[in-house]
Amino acid sequence: MSGVGPVEPGEGTHAWETPESVHAPAHASVHAPAHADAPGALGADASTPAARLLGGLVRRHAAHRRAASAVLATAVLLAGGGYLYATRPHDTEQAAPAPPFPSQVVDVSYLGEVAVPPGARPRTFAFDIVFGVESGPPVTVTRLAQPYLGLSLTSDPRAPFRTKAGSARKVVITMRVTECGKVPKNVGLPFVDVTLRNARAIQVHSFILGTRYAHDLSEALQVACSNDSGNHQNT
Amino acid sequence: MRQRSLIAITAALSAGALTLTACGSRDSDDKGSDSGGTTVTIGIDAPLTGDLSALGLGIKNSVDLAAKTANKQKYVDGITFKIEALDDQAQPSSGQQNATKLVADKSVLGVVGPLNSSVAESMQKVFDDAKLVEVSPANTNPALTQGTDWATSKKRVYKSYFRTATTDAIQGPFAAQYLINDAKKKKVFVIDDKKTYGAGLAGTFTEEFKKLGGTVAGTEHINPDSKDFSAIATKVKTSGADVVYYGGEYPQAGPLSKQIKAAGAKIPVVGGDGIYSADFIKLAGATAAGDLATSVGAPVEQLPSAKEFVANYKTEGYKEAYEAYGGYSYDSAWAIIEAVKKVVDDNDGKLPDDARAKVTAAMQNVSFDGVTGKVSFDEFGDATNKQLTVYAVENGAWKPVKSGTYSG
Repeated sequence: MSGVGPVEPGEGTHAWETPESVHAPAHASVHAPAHADAPGALGADASTPAARLLGGLVRRHAAHRRAASAVLATAVLLAGGGYLYATRPHDTEQAAPAPPFPSQVVDVSYLGEVAVPPGARPRTFAFDIVFGVESGPPVTVTRLAQPYLGLSLTSDPRAPFRTKAGSARKVVITMRVTECGKVPKNVGLPFVDVTLRNARAIQVHSFILGTRYAHDLSEALQVACSNDSGNHQNT
Repeated sequence: MRQRSLIAITAALSAGALTLTACGSRDSDDKGSDSGGTTVTIGIDAPLTGDLSALGLGIKNSVDLAAKTANKQKYVDGITFKIEALDDQAQPSSGQQNATKLVADKSVLGVVGPLNSSVAESMQKVFDDAKLVEVSPANTNPALTQGTDWATSKKRVYKSYFRTATTDAIQGPFAAQYLINDAKKKKVFVIDDKKTYGAGLAGTFTEEFKKLGGTVAGTEHINPDSKDFSAIATKVKTSGADVVYYGGEYPQAGPLSKQIKAAGAKIPVVGGDGIYSADFIKLAGATAAGDLATSVGAPVEQLPSAKEFVANYKTEGYKEAYEAYGGYSYDSAWAIIEAVKKVVDDNDGKLPDDARAKVTAAMQNVSFDGVTGKVSFDEFGDATNKQLTVYAVENGAWKPVKSGTYSG
């Protein structure tokens, strides 16, 4: 009544309800500006090719309205379903696997004792170890330590150092006895504590380097403290 | 004409949609049927009743899951796996009878178990004589693989025996290192249950503890059939020890911990994988807070490989938890499945007449990424993956506090 048509065509108000109405530009133009996307907007000028095509379709539509509507609805439904299926979220896209914990991809193994450089402080000895990363994001060693009081440890390269997956690097760990009375002379399964960091976590993990390392460490400690009667402070 | 086109397009769309729908439902409909053909039995020996049944049932369920998974995947063409689980009640004599029974069943090509090292001792020869492979997920006594003189001269005795768990040769010293270096304990009271596992573990612990400068305030042995440890608890209290190490299992360790605290010794009780069970905490009660246990492997939540196992175990709806050895049991069973696959593949897709001997031989070279990490065996039949974790009782549950890897 106001001259503004319904937002969506309702029953009996469809712009192309009859062939005649398609050819009523004045009527159509009243509704067109407010609803440029509405079907009625296309019926603006019957002289254009688009309007002629539309007119043909509308005439056919009018002739087979019920069948065509059913088929169209089915097609839209199926196409919609197909679209939804094709664009469904995939598990792999949804949840990328979290990176592994660093301790699960790092391998530390013992190579052997190495000579300390000339001029090193007394009661100092050194070992080669290999630090490797099997997979996942790069792993940074932020700290290397050994557990015994009376013994200090430094490394070359000095922590922090970063290693990529699929690569390994040799690390020299140098130890110095600071107090013979506080180091075990015959350790069974000594380890080094390594603080590891990657994109997943920061972990302190003990690497038990095996019987050869235990033997070499015990021997080095005995040699370092051989002339020591006990609680000697090496300064 | 256009109407026909429209109908044709609609038909095509309908067909496409139906096809997509079919694709979408295929995964959920495929429950995995049996592979058909030959049936291979994986035997299980574990304590399925009695005090240690929590661990034993976790072993059984985990092996069952491995067999079901292999069947669903048709992992070994023409082979369907089934399980035969026997209860050893943690008794060596029962274990030996079970071994004889499993050997008599010709469809059994591998056995997972047992839990207890003492039970394993009674079974090893029976299996070895029959060339029937045995993979234990839980035995930690070093002598089982490396001979009785393992500390000085390692020698493999049974070629049919393998294990996925690491040994007390590492577990005991690892606990000693943690107590001395991290927990700063110096004076230990050592108790064991006189059994192969408990006494062996207490031995490897004590040796390392002393090497590291610790002292032993006292030693005692308990009777595993008893639950009254009040006399020992009093001795612990008067010894002045700052920590107790117990070599044994949780049915005794729980009450022992409770009674030691009740006697006035507010010091932690520490044990090995034998006490790493939720049942220990139940038995020990609230005063168990601060007690410690080492156990084989890394914490499950740190193993990406364990995620699928945990999810599948839940899906199968097993009533009992997989407990400390679930992942190792699954890997033990899968090692047998891998060995069977190798033998079948090498024999034109069929099991050979001497399948047991061939499966045992194939086990030595098995290598796969399992629940607990890389699974393979060294020259003694021991797992090459040797990880350990120290757990502490916190807020009524075990919480990992430190992990280590043996790489020697």
